[in-house]
Amino acid sequence: MNCEVCELKELVVEQFEIREVLRCILHTIIFHRALGLVRPRDINCELFELTYVQCGVPEVEKEIEEKITEFISKISKHPNRRSHQVCLSFYETKDKQPAWFSSKTERVYWERWFINLQITNQRVNMKPNQTKVGFDPGEKLSSLEEKKLHRTALEASIRENLFQIIKFVNEKMDHLPHIPPNAEGISYPYEITILSSSESSLDMLKRMLQTGHQTTLS
Amino acid sequence: MAAHSDSGRTTEQIVSQFLSKALHAILAARIPYIHGPTPPPSRHPRKRDRWFHLALGDPPPALEHPSGLIPNGVMEPLVVDILLSPRDDPTMPEAIVERWVAQCEAPAPWSPLHSPAETSSNSFLVKRTYKKSIILLRSIYSVLRLLPAQRVFKMLCASNQSYNHDLTYRVSSFAEPFSRKEEAEFQYHCFAPVETQSGQLAVSVQYRPSLSQFNLEISSLLPPMLITDYVGSPAADPMRAFPSSPSERTGTRSSTSFPLRGSQHGQPSTSAPASAPVFFNRPHSWTGGPSEVPSNRAQHPNHPPTGSYRKPAFNFDEFKFSPPFYMSPTPSPPKFSGSYMQSPLRSETAPVSIPQSGSSKVKVLRSPNLSDPTRNFLPPPSPRSARTTDPSSQDSDSRSFRRPDGLRTSDGYSNMYGTPKGLKDGRDDSGRFSLSGSPRFTFSRSSSRISVPDDLDDPDFSYPFAVDDVDSSDSQARSNDGKEVSDFGHASSSHKSQDAAVGVLVHMLRTAAPLRDSTYSSQSSKSELQEEGLGSTSSFFMSRKASDALEELQSYKSIKEMLLSQSKGKLH
Repeated sequence: MNCEVCELKELVVEQFEIREVLRCILHTIIFHRALGLVRPRDINCELFELTYVQCGVPEVEKEIEEKITEFISKISKHPNRRSHQVCLSFYETKDKQPAWFSSKTERVYWERWFINLQITNQRVNMKPNQTKVGFDPGEKLSSLEEKKLHRTALEASIRENLFQIIKFVNEKMDHLPHIPPNAEGISYPYEITILSSSESSLDMLKRMLQTGHQTTLS
Repeated sequence: MAAHSDSGRTTEQIVSQFLSKALHAILAARIPYIHGPTPPPSRHPRKRDRWFHLALGDPPPALEHPSGLIPNGVMEPLVVDILLSPRDDPTMPEAIVERWVAQCEAPAPWSPLHSPAETSSNSFLVKRTYKKSIILLRSIYSVLRLLPAQRVFKMLCASNQSYNHDLTYRVSSFAEPFSRKEEAEFQYHCFAPVETQSGQLAVSVQYRPSLSQFNLEISSLLPPMLITDYVGSPAADPMRAFPSSPSERTGTRSSTSFPLRGSQHGQPSTSAPASAPVFFNRPHSWTGGPSEVPSNRAQHPNHPPTGSYRKPAFNFDEFKFSPPFYMSPTPSPPKFSGSYMQSPLRSETAPVSIPQSGSSKVKVLRSPNLSDPTRNFLPPPSPRSARTTDPSSQDSDSRSFRRPDGLRTSDGYSNMYGTPKGLKDGRDDSGRFSLSGSPRFTFSRSSSRISVPDDLDDPDFSYPFAVDDVDSSDSQARSNDGKEVSDFGHASSSHKSQDAAVGVLVHMLRTAAPLRDSTYSSQSSKSELQEEGLGSTSSFFMSRKASDALEELQSYKSIKEMLLSQSKGKLH
């Protein structure tokens, strides 16, 4: 099975915007790939004039929040690195021939999404519910205007990314596995991995194929 | 997913359900309160929700019969226009902000789908069609949230204010082509088509990338006007009712009677025939208000859009305009100099004012007999006597000087005219009398009843009702003995200010020299007299002239006569 890969356009974000941006993109992707019965929820972004859709599955929301928190903590340890990547992968589990010192099942990835972020003005923002950071009162008016411009540009980039996602999911459908009958919510297992900045997506694929050990969410 | 042996019918069912659900998703994301004032409660997904694995809830009333939307089958396109309609200006045309087109295009003759003989893969095709339809519907759902009209929808839904525009819709099977100019204003987004046995299921949307040209803003309930008769203004009549609603005055068309919600336009469910095409040349409206409204609003298609004010069955204008009027704040604090505020204050003016009528309830400081020409010569009643409202009690007050020791009028006279004994008894409370030079009556505030002419208004005079004026006024009065006596002689002819006169009189009395200094001295400082010897006493008498004494005597006599005459008058 071929693995479709979608590399999203890089987003330039500030530290405090990471959570909101990742929520928006991850939930949108999962909403289009959670082909079981869902009751969608509209979420209005706090930082942007955007509304995205969640699939309404609490477990998904929880896992995404945890992964975002993990991502933020990792990047805070590497303040000098600006480019980071989050990978959302969909796979299916297949049985394989049992062999010595190997698992009986394997994961076959049929789709991967790479979310590219460039972090600017890194500030620690560890709390899941903290999405806004107050401006330094000493900032000049020009910096406020710059931030406003940045916010507008980022909003447009996010919107562009979302349209890219929608276009991709509509065009690439043939590789999707069969939907399990009476599926509720998530129809395909997935995982979210945080790539180190020194590791590209290709390197990650190689690593995963060679090691055969997959990180799981739960 | 419904599995049927007849795959063609299944495909048609899929397409039909898809179009219905797409319409449901579009209207739910664009028309505020399409379900009514309260959204339907979330419940266990029904069979309808399970179509395409997307639970959208109950469809709006207009979509209760989805088959009616596509009367000619699934091959007819479904065109949904989302319009932005100005609320306050009926002359302004509606503007299409979005146009959704969903249709199942017949397959090309060379397409493998065109051949009915390929039945082995039909089930697979149906399954694939259904799976792709699921994703397509999800994409439509997401795109609806990304387009500019979503912001307008959120504003109309979230706010409890009315805006100058409404979002309405129009469903048809025919899309009126845009002009070239209009076409240039729109952007186009086309979803990837889903292959079906009936053809390709294609969905596209034309949308305006910006809605700033419509100036969507909160509509004001009242036209700007200058309020001249605000509460507290000189022209304000506190009892005047507020004017009628401005719509009645201006004759403008009211909004769609929902000041708190944006209105929506669509065909009421009651008039939606199952087989009639859902194509309206003119959308009509229903709103998310009270239950009476939809039935009332259904009449709106019969009402021509005129500039006249149109009232619903129950007058929402009262709802709309009453809050500002009901809660009309006082723009400015009430001016206490206004006439309407004086009467309640009148009774609370300074104690020195004596009302002209005897009906005043305030008896703090009142002359008991205001019509008596000699009233100026009577001091105001004591505070204790002034609290009573009974005229009879006033008469008694006029005759009695209420004092802690119970001294009465007769006693007061005797006290005034030098009954040393009485004075002696109440000396500490009432003061002292003096025969030297000027009558100096010093009374306590509870006993003073002597009137003072108006022209004796001494700015330094302290009113008898003041608490601590006795000692302070004595030193000032002693230096004006002669003047006070002569002035007092003219007291009977003045009616200028009774309170001032009273005050002057009391001050004079207080500051007056004792009538019999020897007696007082003998009472208070007998030992001093004895020490000083008779010589000092005789020298005191010798310093005073006989004329002074005579003058004093005469003044005392006049006072006595006045008091007697007044008391006689009151007795009758």
